Amino acid sequence: MTMATMTAPAQATEAQVRGTAPVRRRRRRTSPVPYLFVAPFLVVFLGFSAYPIGFALQLSFTNWHGAGVLRFTGLANYRYLLTSSDFWGSMVNSGLLWLLVVPAQVLLALVVAVALSRSRLRGPFSASLIAPFVTPLVAMAQVWIILFDKDFGAVNHALAAVGLPAAGWLTTASGARITVALLVLWRTTGYAVILLMAGLTSIPAQVYEAARLDGAGAWTQFWRITVPLTTRTVSFVVVIGTLTVFQLFAEPFVLTGGGPFNATRTAGLYLYKHVTNSDLGLGAANSMLLVVMVFALSLASIRLLRSREER
Amino acid sequence: MNARLGTIGRYALLVTVSLVSLAPLLWMVASAFKPGADVIARPFAFDPARFTVQNFHQMLHTIPIGTGFRNTALVVAIKGGLTMVFCPLAGFAFAKYEFPGKRLLFATVLATLMLPTLVLLIPLLLEMSELHWVSTFQALILPGAVDAFGVFWMRQTIAAIPDELIDAARVDGASDLRTYRSVVVPVIRPGLAALGVLTFINIYNDFVWPVVAVNDEQHQTLQVMLAALAQNIRAGQLGADWTSVWGQLLAASTVAALPVLLVFILLQRHLIKGVMAGSLKG
Repeated sequence: MTMATMTAPAQATEAQVRGTAPVRRRRRRTSPVPYLFVAPFLVVFLGFSAYPIGFALQLSFTNWHGAGVLRFTGLANYRYLLTSSDFWGSMVNSGLLWLLVVPAQVLLALVVAVALSRSRLRGPFSASLIAPFVTPLVAMAQVWIILFDKDFGAVNHALAAVGLPAAGWLTTASGARITVALLVLWRTTGYAVILLMAGLTSIPAQVYEAARLDGAGAWTQFWRITVPLTTRTVSFVVVIGTLTVFQLFAEPFVLTGGGPFNATRTAGLYLYKHVTNSDLGLGAANSMLLVVMVFALSLASIRLLRSREER
Repeated sequence: MNARLGTIGRYALLVTVSLVSLAPLLWMVASAFKPGADVIARPFAFDPARFTVQNFHQMLHTIPIGTGFRNTALVVAIKGGLTMVFCPLAGFAFAKYEFPGKRLLFATVLATLMLPTLVLLIPLLLEMSELHWVSTFQALILPGAVDAFGVFWMRQTIAAIPDELIDAARVDGASDLRTYRSVVVPVIRPGLAALGVLTFINIYNDFVWPVVAVNDEQHQTLQVMLAALAQNIRAGQLGADWTSVWGQLLAASTVAALPVLLVFILLQRHLIKGVMAGSLKG
């Protein structure tokens, strides 16, 4: 069924192209060909991005629970969310994770990228750094559950071996936040390193040579040359990191289920709670609030991307 | 002297960071082959003489991992196929044709570029339930196919092809699709390879949408199945025998990670290029 519906347009495209394609100058305006090439993207976009968002916008003004009578409730959902301690609590949780993840990640990635850009064996090192990023998140979250178990986990095992007390990595609020943050850091820092490498290799070696002749040490070079000259790439990494953290879903979903005491219930998990509660009107309103937030962040990052290209 | 110290420090840092990156993966794979009791009692001891496949055996009885693999394979094949066929075609249109509405359409691509699945989660679920598509393969396959990033990236790749090359084919009387196949595709083959690797990894690892779109075991992808296993363990539904539960969890995680790790090891070169283009979903 799915196969049939999806291959049909492709055949139509080919047939039409064959039938109506003499030697064609590129700038002739009547050609249907480019439209046919863009059509599959457009169909999926209209059907599975634009339409659902419009539909959800409509439902966000209702009390829809998935069944029964649809009642228009105006701005009630938005008013509820914006005054709900659960909604703001999830925002605070995401914000705290941002604090735990993004600054540490940017600094670590920058230092590693500088070291990597001046070393041989870039290939093997980059490969090991990026490996965590391609492994299935769910599988690694399971491994994290086992590694960070309070009673039997390898991490507390190792702490005990050096005489430190066992920590409640997944059983205390701050412990769970740190454990989730460590998983995010472990998975995504290599990605940040690779992105920063691209920015670093664009700094001419002569700049560093000149600084060295003037007696600047490694530390001074790092803060006075590397950091300022990679500002754009660094801001790009910050934006990507921010988008990642505010969309965190699978990590807390598998690792903590949002607990303990909702300490790791991120914006994404709170959104999912509306689904399990069948509060779909409320969930639609919450999605719209996230659309606005993410679009603001995305516009900023696209602007950064553009300025990066212009350079 | 100072320079040498710097070099040593640099490599020490790189080796440490690489080890930290790889350690959890290696630990997972090696521990999956240990008797469950050893995982708990001696997490850092790896004695090849005691290696066993018992965890894998037990895991196969607990979860229908074969069904998970089959479902994931189906979604990867069709969704990935759609992406690989139609993203470069759309990219070709945006890079090498002039047509009314092009700017608006391309602005749509850019706007969709960073629209994350999370924001679409509930809207899509509402649409799926309206279409009676919840827990179907089309729900897993169609949303997110022919994604904006693929279109954007292929546009950038194809734009780098000299116009003369394409015009020459046209003057020779080649049709648009023929030009695409015999001129564009051979030139962008490396880009297509990178897009293929990334598309495979993204769809294979996808979790957020599949977990919401599917409620029955019949249609669960591998990742959703794994997460359900972890939830059951947290809820204590698999019993209190930690030794067997952890062993099974590690075995299942290892099996689930294997295909991406293989693709990663074999096609790493393409992957790093794709990552540089900024394309993996976090």
